[in-house]
Amino acid sequence: MASSGSGYDLSPTTFSPDGRIFQVEYASKAVASSGTSVGLKVKDGVVLVTEKILTSKMLVPGSSRRVHGLDRHAGCSITGLISDGRQLVNRGREEASNYVDTYGIRSPPVVLCERLSSFAHYFTLHGALRPFGATAMVAAYDEDEKDYSLHMIEPSGQAYKYYGCAAGKGRQGAKTEIEKLDLQALSCEEGLAAAVKVVLQMRDDNKDKPMELEAGWCRDGKYSKVPDGVLKDAEKKGREELEEEEDMDEDEDE
Amino acid sequence: MSRDSNYDHHISIFSPNGRLYQVEYAFKAAASASGLTSVACRGASTCAMVTQKKVPERLIDPSSVSNVYTIIPSIGCLMTGHSPDCKALVSRMRYEANDFQYKYGYPIPVGSLAQRIADIAQVNTQKASFRPLACTAMLVSVDDEKGPSLYKVDPAGHFLPFKATASGAKEQEATNYFEKKVTDLPTYTPDETVRCAIMCLGSVLGSDFRGTEIEVCTVERGGKFKKLTEEETERHLNDIAEMDA
Repeated sequence: MASSGSGYDLSPTTFSPDGRIFQVEYASKAVASSGTSVGLKVKDGVVLVTEKILTSKMLVPGSSRRVHGLDRHAGCSITGLISDGRQLVNRGREEASNYVDTYGIRSPPVVLCERLSSFAHYFTLHGALRPFGATAMVAAYDEDEKDYSLHMIEPSGQAYKYYGCAAGKGRQGAKTEIEKLDLQALSCEEGLAAAVKVVLQMRDDNKDKPMELEAGWCRDGKYSKVPDGVLKDAEKKGREELEEEEDMDEDEDE
Repeated sequence: MSRDSNYDHHISIFSPNGRLYQVEYAFKAAASASGLTSVACRGASTCAMVTQKKVPERLIDPSSVSNVYTIIPSIGCLMTGHSPDCKALVSRMRYEANDFQYKYGYPIPVGSLAQRIADIAQVNTQKASFRPLACTAMLVSVDDEKGPSLYKVDPAGHFLPFKATASGAKEQEATNYFEKKVTDLPTYTPDETVRCAIMCLGSVLGSDFRGTEIEVCTVERGGKFKKLTEEETERHLNDIAEMDA
């Protein structure tokens, strides 16, 4: 069992003896070392929140975005290698625009995500290419079904529709927290607050580098960036709630 | 065979034994990637296919998890293996089937589709720039001339018509089960065909199912390929339970 790769991990065109494609697994590891991202499908929309680790104090706040619009009705957040993620976003925008030109209606979320996942998958087939080191969470509105949807596209090209998803460093803990929520009872604002709280919970402010939150939501049939003021309020509220919970835990221990 | 280990990195190279290791590894990937088992069988006038349905995480919407695909209304396919590779192969099958219809004016016979896809898969075993797709496809249809037809296409580019077959983790056990039924299969009614497939899967996995844990699909003479609803699946499961009781 060559679980360490050792020669079978140099190219996406090589299977290991136990049938694994290591390059694709390594691409997922690249995503797993980036800041936590959370996506939630709630009653009246979909919320995407990303933790952007700040590499320098000189960075202008709000620059180097992780959360992008793909079309009027769809947006996505990128986790992992940001430059790889930009390729996915650009392709997503082309596909969405191409669909409107060809068919005259906005792309259904399933179609947009299948195109994007096939695109990502193609890079896991060629020897001359490498897989994308990025995961895209796509929030979109379906005009026919009159319903919102959340899809997550992974470096392997695998894409599923989710009620809630997480990627990045804190994804295991985040998924556990998300499973505790009653997502269908939350409004977009409540969903934003919950997602922000989950992201903050996965951090350890003493050990982790400083970060900035970025969020987008798909609601009222449209995708848009969450206004800065709203996001800041949600962050403040999230931090206060977490502090209260910590204080309560400490009181219980005493 | 330690000296073989230099040869199994590249797809276009034979080992001194004459084996293509990358193709063999692709088979392993197809069988073990999803951990699922799928079975299919042919009856007197219908074909039935059954696979396990496992939703990988609780947060995933189950409606987006399916291994059953319609290629054209009269041809259905059940994919087993690495799910992005499965989707890529399905896209290609749909393209080839529709291209055939456009060129020749009639729906592609399932045998021709299987042959075309197998030829495409074979190219990946000879060209170094592409890897084989880690997935096995089982195609069913009721052909105008040949009646109920079941074909299996694997990563190496083999394709064969079958009376009954299986793929995935418990392929061998399922095939053994079917070998005992092979003489009776051509007499089975549509319901019996479906039940035989479900019982095969149940016996190799050693468990009973609920309607949500399996996907069942069938195709009938003159009809469209369809996936059974949960109610229809439950009805068959109840009938099986009563038979055993």
